[in-house]
Amino acid sequence: MPKVTRYDAPRVIDSGSIWILVAAPTIWAVHFLLSYWVAAVYCAKSGSGWLGGLTDPRWIIVGLGGLSIAAIVWLGMIAVRRYGGVFVVLEEITDSSEQGRERFIGHVALLLCALSAVAIVFTVIPGLVFDRC
Amino acid sequence: MRRGTSILFGVLFLTALGGCDGRHNWMAGAGEEAAAIGDLFLILMVGAAVIWSLVVGAAVYAHRRRAHPGLEREARLFVIWGGVVFPVLLIGALLVWGLFLLKGITADEGDLTVRVDGERWWWRVTYETPTGDVVTANEIRLPQGRTALFRLTADDVIHAFWVPALGGKMDMVPGRETTLALTPKKLGNWGGLCAEFCGGAHALMRFDAVVMAPDAFETWLAREAETAQVAADDPGFQVFLDEGCGACHTIRGTQAAGPVGPDLTHLAGREKLGAGLYEMTPEHMARWITDTHAMKPDIDMPPYPHLSGPRLDTLVDFLMRLE
Ligand code: HEC
Ligand SMILES: [Cu+2]
Repeated sequence: MPKVTRYDAPRVIDSGSIWILVAAPTIWAVHFLLSYWVAAVYCAKSGSGWLGGLTDPRWIIVGLGGLSIAAIVWLGMIAVRRYGGVFVVLEEITDSSEQGRERFIGHVALLLCALSAVAIVFTVIPGLVFDRC
Repeated sequence: MRRGTSILFGVLFLTALGGCDGRHNWMAGAGEEAAAIGDLFLILMVGAAVIWSLVVGAAVYAHRRRAHPGLEREARLFVIWGGVVFPVLLIGALLVWGLFLLKGITADEGDLTVRVDGERWWWRVTYETPTGDVVTANEIRLPQGRTALFRLTADDVIHAFWVPALGGKMDMVPGRETTLALTPKKLGNWGGLCAEFCGGAHALMRFDAVVMAPDAFETWLAREAETAQVAADDPGFQVFLDEGCGACHTIRGTQAAGPVGPDLTHLAGREKLGAGLYEMTPEHMARWITDTHAMKPDIDMPPYPHLSGPRLDTLVDFLMRLE
């Protein structure tokens, strides 16, 4: 009965393990928000000598971007280790089994990690070019 | 129907082209900053046209050809390189280029500094000179070939400072100072305007940006720095004081020192009246005073409909002598 085996594996969504998909874009969004907050606070306070003067704004920008990308790399490693994600484009991941679905999630998570990392770099670049308020 | 649509689009296109002409033309090459943006625009347009043609060409080609399942690997690689890696690098490069261009335009140094404060709905202009500030309004004169640094602020709402032919634009934000550098290359009277909706008379908030030869500019600035020559018993000035104009307007060198409206010390030296709107003629001046809100709706200056006859004439005559 081939029809039945198609649906035999438990749906991953029920096992609650798809958080890995949203994690990387969430970091991207949080980094984006933080960039605005940190810049606003920095620009408001830099005149008053609090924080400002001490630190070159570039270091804050690089630090924030570096931390976010490190978090994404760590997520990428989880996607590979725990989900068996692979970074391939020449092969389709279409297995209809529990393991196949996990691999698919790992694969998508990896691609999202790459996308989010590129997006964060694009957010960091303007901060590096404009090192002032 | 189809014919009608294409005619409509043709007409719209030609009308839009009309905007490319004259003193608001941002492609006139009148300023270095506008020219830099023009170059970026050209490269973007040509690049986009080439890429679009290639993509559409590839789609047409793919549609015509029979499928080759054996080429799947190559096709996927093509999509990855052409559809992901190439655009990311290209957009990254354009981003960096555009940012550096913007950084140059918003630089904070210049050969001369002009502060402009956006008011509803006119421009308070202050030239910083070694001998002190020179205050004027609604007309900005610039020396050819020198970089003018504009320090922009706003009084109560957001405006935007734009001289399309020279460069810009830049927001003017209450409580903040933004900067914009403009280096005019061509002599002429280029139009400037407010480019951020700011209320009732927004569309009538303009100014003249007059580019002059450097020594003519120096002469003009020295004249602008002088106080007005007003005799104490000038009858027109008496009317000006009696009507209370001096509560809002300043005429330097007299007791009129109101801070609300534009400085009128060298009013008649401007080419236009009412923030870049009307030719500076006695007729326009008289109407500006008596029928103010028909000339420019919503503005903070009250109309003086009761002024007429010789009294109005003396006042207008006095104002037209403020050169
Ligand atoms: C309540 C304040 C107020 C009073 C009183 C007032 N004005 Fe004005 N006036 C303004 C403001 C504000 C503007 C700028 C309006 C605009 O363009 O948005 C202006 C603009 C002008 C202009 C145009 C300036 C330019 O640069 O083109 C002239 C001329 C002028 N006023 C003359 C007068 C005269 C003459 C009187 C008296 C009869 C008078 N004003 C009374 C507020 C005032
Ligand atoms: Cu406006």
